[in-house]
Amino acid sequence: MREMINMVVVLTVLTALSGGLLATVKAKTEVQIENQVLKFQKAPAIKGIFPETTNDPLAERFMIDNEGVPLQVFPGKLSDGSKAVAFETKGTGFGGAVGLMVGINVDTDTIVEVRVTTHSETPGIGSRAKDDPSFASQFSGKGLDTNFSMKADGGAVDAMSGATVTSKAVSVAANQAKEIYQKLKPEIVKQMN
Amino acid sequence: MAQSLAKEFTKGLWAEIPPFRLVLGLCPTLAVTKSVENGIGMGIATTFVLVFSNLLISLLRNIIPSKVRIACYIVIVATFVTIVELLMQAYTYELFLKLGIFIPLIVVNCIVLGRAEAFANKNGPLPSVADGLGIGMGFTLSLAALGAVRELLGNGTLTIWGGTPIFEMAEGFLPFRFMLEAPGAFIGLGLMLCLMNLIGKK
Amino acid sequence: MGDLFVLVISCIFINNILLAQFLGNCPFLGTSKKMETAIGMAMAVIFVLVMAGAITWVVNEYMLKPLDVVYLQTVSFILVIAALVQFVEMFLKKSIPALYAGLGIFLPLITTNCAVMGVCLINIKEEYSFIEALVTSFSYAAGFGLALVLFAGVRERILLARVPKPLQDTSIGLITAGIIALTFMSFKGMV
Repeated sequence: MREMINMVVVLTVLTALSGGLLATVKAKTEVQIENQVLKFQKAPAIKGIFPETTNDPLAERFMIDNEGVPLQVFPGKLSDGSKAVAFETKGTGFGGAVGLMVGINVDTDTIVEVRVTTHSETPGIGSRAKDDPSFASQFSGKGLDTNFSMKADGGAVDAMSGATVTSKAVSVAANQAKEIYQKLKPEIVKQMN
Repeated sequence: MAQSLAKEFTKGLWAEIPPFRLVLGLCPTLAVTKSVENGIGMGIATTFVLVFSNLLISLLRNIIPSKVRIACYIVIVATFVTIVELLMQAYTYELFLKLGIFIPLIVVNCIVLGRAEAFANKNGPLPSVADGLGIGMGFTLSLAALGAVRELLGNGTLTIWGGTPIFEMAEGFLPFRFMLEAPGAFIGLGLMLCLMNLIGKK
Repeated sequence: MGDLFVLVISCIFINNILLAQFLGNCPFLGTSKKMETAIGMAMAVIFVLVMAGAITWVVNEYMLKPLDVVYLQTVSFILVIAALVQFVEMFLKKSIPALYAGLGIFLPLITTNCAVMGVCLINIKEEYSFIEALVTSFSYAAGFGLALVLFAGVRERILLARVPKPLQDTSIGLITAGIIALTFMSFKGMV
């Protein structure tokens, strides 16, 4: 019996200590980690979508509430004076989630550009969604009334040959971005000013 | 005392060098050694976990009841792995992305649990730290060596840190791309093991 | 439905856990010397992995996420797996001794099999739904079994061959695995 209590006590104390220690480290590194994610994943995508802005989309980022899930929005003032926003959505590809940063011009309701942020697709095949600009450029300038599904499914997007699933993931993410934007536009515009 | 510490340290560098002599921890060895840089990064992360978990387990070796010792080791190791994961995410984010899932998987690296059970469990804190450091350094060296072979043959370059390669193969060298893929990892490690056997025999 | 089928094919063949993802290589080399042990190990992995995949998914979704402690993932998953393996071992010993006789000795090895932990982490990282997580876990485990049994078959043949001394045992095993991995590479781009 004593042995039993001993075992339980040691394990409990150890786990509690471990939890406490980790919570401390987590709290200490939280801000730094957020900065790193911004710098290495989001910043290059934002830079690609808004090559020239008169403001700093990264510094002016804000959060809005999308049905209980917080969504990070990057506002950009384009060089021709129009306003745009960029945010990230996800679609499921063949190796898992494909993150897509979607830039939308708020004044004209058209897509500025899209960029793939994260993916774990097969190198050389699905990864072309990120590396090969001709696929992503299909989205540029399209109005938000476009259906971004594959052409085979009655949409307007050409799939990359040999990488149908990845192409689908990107189009799912783009359609999702469209829906979120249409739903939350008043909120986004309010926050931007 | 100093002499025996040195002995514990150096045995990890040759006599018991993982993963060659102790055939343990193969998964990270094969998976992350696409370049020298990844190999070293993984090696250092593992060394950190090894040293601290060895130290703590050795300090607690008289308190931990022997029936639940494995569970206790797992908690201790997992805690340090998470710390490494958070630190790498905060300070070496690019490396963190490259190593990906293999950082949390240090927790099931048999080397770490193996050292806890075989060494730290029976020895004092100082030798345990020396043992962890030695085995960890040996592991780092092996990963770096395999990474160097694969990068050199598969890509024609050697990169230690940052983007610029410190060594490039002569022009006209056609890289064996398959060395960077899965089969190259197995075959590269197999041939290096054969080389170790050849040298060790003398 | 079609998506699930693609998932199954990609997990078994294209992203084979042993030969493309490099998870679970220690038991791959350790238990592949004999066909019998290879089959035992494969069965044990399929059994535990499907359960572990389901439980860790639930733990992540209904415990870690609501409490906002996702950083405790590594610690909690490994404890869940270790405990699960213990329970399975005790349960089989008492209730299904015949199955225990076959799988028993492999069960303790599974806690430190990174294939199990790895697949649980992949399920979460890829944000799979519960059904997808179950299917993935099973398919990865099946891929593990397939590669292990194939490899054991080749290795039994190697025993009859005259291998140069320095290449013997693990060394030739690794090179064989490399050649098998090469054949699996031809599945790439299939989907």
